[in-house]
Amino acid sequence: MPALTRLRTPEGMRWVAAGLLVVVAFTLPPLAGLLETILPDTISANFTLILGTSALVLALWSVSYNLMLGYTGMVSFAHAAYYGIGAYTVALLYQDLHWSVLPGLVLSPLVAGLVGLVTGFISLRAVRLYFSLLTLAISQVCFVIAFEWYSFTGGDNGIHGISPPDFLLNPTVQYYFVGAVVSVCLLTMFLLVRSPFGAALLAIRENRLRAAAVGLNVKRYELAVFTVSAAFAGVAGALFAIYDLQAFPQLMYWTESAHPVVMTLLGGSGTFLGPALGAAVYTGLQNSIGRTFPAQFDIVLGAIVLGVVLVAPGGLGSALDGIRRLAARRSGSRGPAKQDSEGDALVRIDVSKILAIRPAKSQAERSSGGTLLRVEGLSKRFGGLKAVDGVSLDVLEGRRHAVIGPNGAGKSTLFNLLTGQIRPDAGKVVFGGVDITGRRPHQLSRFGIGRAFQITNIFPKLTVLQNLQYSMLAHRGDTVRPFGIADRRYRDEAMQLLEAVGLGPAFALQAGLLSHGDQRALELAISLALGTRLLLLDEPTAGMSPYETKRAMELVNGVVAQQGLTLLFCEHDMDIVFGIADVVTVMHQGRVLAEGTPEAIRSNPEVQRIYLGDVELDAPQTEAGARA
Amino acid sequence: MSGSTLALTVLAGLSEASVLFLVASGLSLVFGALRVINMAHGSLYMVAAFITTAIVQFLAQPAIGFLLALVIAPAVVALIGALIEVLVLRRLYGREHLLQLLATFALTLVFAGGVRIIFGSYNRSIRPPELLSGGVSLGSFIFPTYKFFLMFAALVVAAALYVLLYRTTLGRNIRAAVADPELLNASGVNVARLFTTVFMIGAGLAALGGVLVSPDQAVTGGMDTDVLVAAFAISVIGGLGSLMGSFVGALIVGLATSFGILFPQTSRWSLAFIFVLMAVVLMLRPWGLFGRPEAT
Repeated sequence: MPALTRLRTPEGMRWVAAGLLVVVAFTLPPLAGLLETILPDTISANFTLILGTSALVLALWSVSYNLMLGYTGMVSFAHAAYYGIGAYTVALLYQDLHWSVLPGLVLSPLVAGLVGLVTGFISLRAVRLYFSLLTLAISQVCFVIAFEWYSFTGGDNGIHGISPPDFLLNPTVQYYFVGAVVSVCLLTMFLLVRSPFGAALLAIRENRLRAAAVGLNVKRYELAVFTVSAAFAGVAGALFAIYDLQAFPQLMYWTESAHPVVMTLLGGSGTFLGPALGAAVYTGLQNSIGRTFPAQFDIVLGAIVLGVVLVAPGGLGSALDGIRRLAARRSGSRGPAKQDSEGDALVRIDVSKILAIRPAKSQAERSSGGTLLRVEGLSKRFGGLKAVDGVSLDVLEGRRHAVIGPNGAGKSTLFNLLTGQIRPDAGKVVFGGVDITGRRPHQLSRFGIGRAFQITNIFPKLTVLQNLQYSMLAHRGDTVRPFGIADRRYRDEAMQLLEAVGLGPAFALQAGLLSHGDQRALELAISLALGTRLLLLDEPTAGMSPYETKRAMELVNGVVAQQGLTLLFCEHDMDIVFGIADVVTVMHQGRVLAEGTPEAIRSNPEVQRIYLGDVELDAPQTEAGARA
Repeated sequence: MSGSTLALTVLAGLSEASVLFLVASGLSLVFGALRVINMAHGSLYMVAAFITTAIVQFLAQPAIGFLLALVIAPAVVALIGALIEVLVLRRLYGREHLLQLLATFALTLVFAGGVRIIFGSYNRSIRPPELLSGGVSLGSFIFPTYKFFLMFAALVVAAALYVLLYRTTLGRNIRAAVADPELLNASGVNVARLFTTVFMIGAGLAALGGVLVSPDQAVTGGMDTDVLVAAFAISVIGGLGSLMGSFVGALIVGLATSFGILFPQTSRWSLAFIFVLMAVVLMLRPWGLFGRPEAT
């Protein structure tokens, strides 16, 4: 029974839950009628339909909110403003131009989206917390405008007495009409989050820095999703005005944004339809507890949000997974066990497979020896400290170039300058003949500069395979596409690369569950997937065990040699430096102190002087070491 | 504008700024040390105001009641603060900002409901103690004595905070936490207890604001979000985590509000003006006028 088995996976359970939700939504009118005939005293069919309509609108509102919260990781307090703008669009067109509500409904996403674009552009100047505070300010400005501009919006009275077209006066027709509009919007958003564009959003949520490093212009994607989200909130607001027949300023007050937050958390921000489920439950709660005990209702809502944040960050959606796990345990079968990734994947490297993917460059080609990266007089000050002071160096194609120096020598600052994390005060960086000084990280990856970070930098909650697929999508510019299915693209190519670095068997695991060494291997695979020519490694073995260090360096060495990559790395471990590097540059107090072959550097008296008592320079079992 | 109108407007702005400073400095202090934006900060202010009205209305002697409230309300609220820090925030340090925002936001809902259940949903107001009621005659106009008292109280608290932060061991540790929490942890200070203490001080400052404001303004169920939004604006303009920033930010917002109300053409928009100012500051100097940019 393969179909049944598939339903017991988390994915399958979600489809079942989504299907149930749709069936209930679709059959609500006859169901409500039936209930009214059975229990005429307690249930009114019309009232149930009005509640249902309201739940549909709230579902659209909260799913659109989750595009930001769940898919991109942005907390906005302005979502109520766009909802309000949608409602006012319908109300004002009706009042001032005597338009029907239907053209208002069509225009509402455009108006809300436009306001979202402008305000999003402003608020995205800031990041994280400050972004949230800016959205709060924007929401309040919208509120004040609606509240105080009497001649235009009717001020605190709002606009009442909108009359809908005759066919919408029937509650059942109204319910199905709203349901149809909501369905179209939800379907559009669903296609969007599964598309390569949606993959970019997930990548940004998981790791902004890494997302930029694989070539995503993070701010632009955030602005795009902010605008789209605002536009759909506008549709929800317009639908509100159509069934509630009014618009008023309180719709836009920033605390109103609590509703989509609560519904999203209630249903689970990790799933697409979770917020819609949340909206249904929320409407139910509001009309049971909320009606009889309004004060207690606030406490219940607060407790729900608090409980979700502290105990079950997945919301009701993840409770499904819990049920599934329980069921699995009872039937004796165990779910997919947390696969042991301690058995170091690095042992399983197969360099010949890497060869199969990308033809290795011949020895002659490798040592053609042109300058790949040229750094000229690069300088950066922090206050009075010259962290990097007029550094010049040439990295030749195909070489393995090490930068060493005592703590505070400016190595990390130099790397940050080269990778565009910070801008230099003076000097030039030229890569393959192109001046790349001061370019931003997402632009650099397009040139073929790959960076591994001091702290391992992957997308921890995506699967190992998705890490590679999404990086490829981003790098190749596919993430601008709002259609297609991201998880089906570049699958084979990504699998080949994973096999090559020995991570093939782990492809379906969450990347965050891999061992440290395996995460490093994944990082390297990402770099290869991006068509990297110059690999920058900032202390690649920091935090690794001696065994992991050895394996990791074998992997790097093998891949670099076979791919004809150029390597620029800084490292504290002198065994590694002298074991790998062709060229060594020594930095001291922000300047280049010496540059040359490992042998020349090792015997340089000045280098020995600055390292005295810091690092044992003389690698044992070498001729140079014996001589010293 | 006549000289006396100008003076009156400035004085009204300063007294407005006084209460805002108390609340914003607490918010800012907590953010500086704990890196948490406490959305429930306004709720603590509201709780203190309601406790004050309850005590004053319960006792036959309003003056004694007010003095009692000045001690009891901040103490009770600081204890509530300790509970929040230990039970909720401690589990969220180092996690996404998102979760901290949502958790403290949830607390605002709990407090809003709790206040309505315990104190009812009607507005309350109390009169200032006998000694501080009435007005001071300043030439052509009379200005309420109590508003002078507010300014005085804010200055005393500002001075006390300065001494606390720059002249005591606790203050040195707090400033170290603002600068580099990891290093502080490594240097042997009990950071967990330090954070609880800081959060209690922050909550106490919000409560002090709540006690002092209650003879001056109506105590209502919506005062939590009103003051929270103002405190956000102040902290953002002045710079989160900076005492000086809270002081200057409160002056800017207080004076802007009072000058805005002065002109009939602008009174309706003074609120919007503050948010536009906040947005402009955030765009040009995201860390505020006196704040420092975050290292990361």
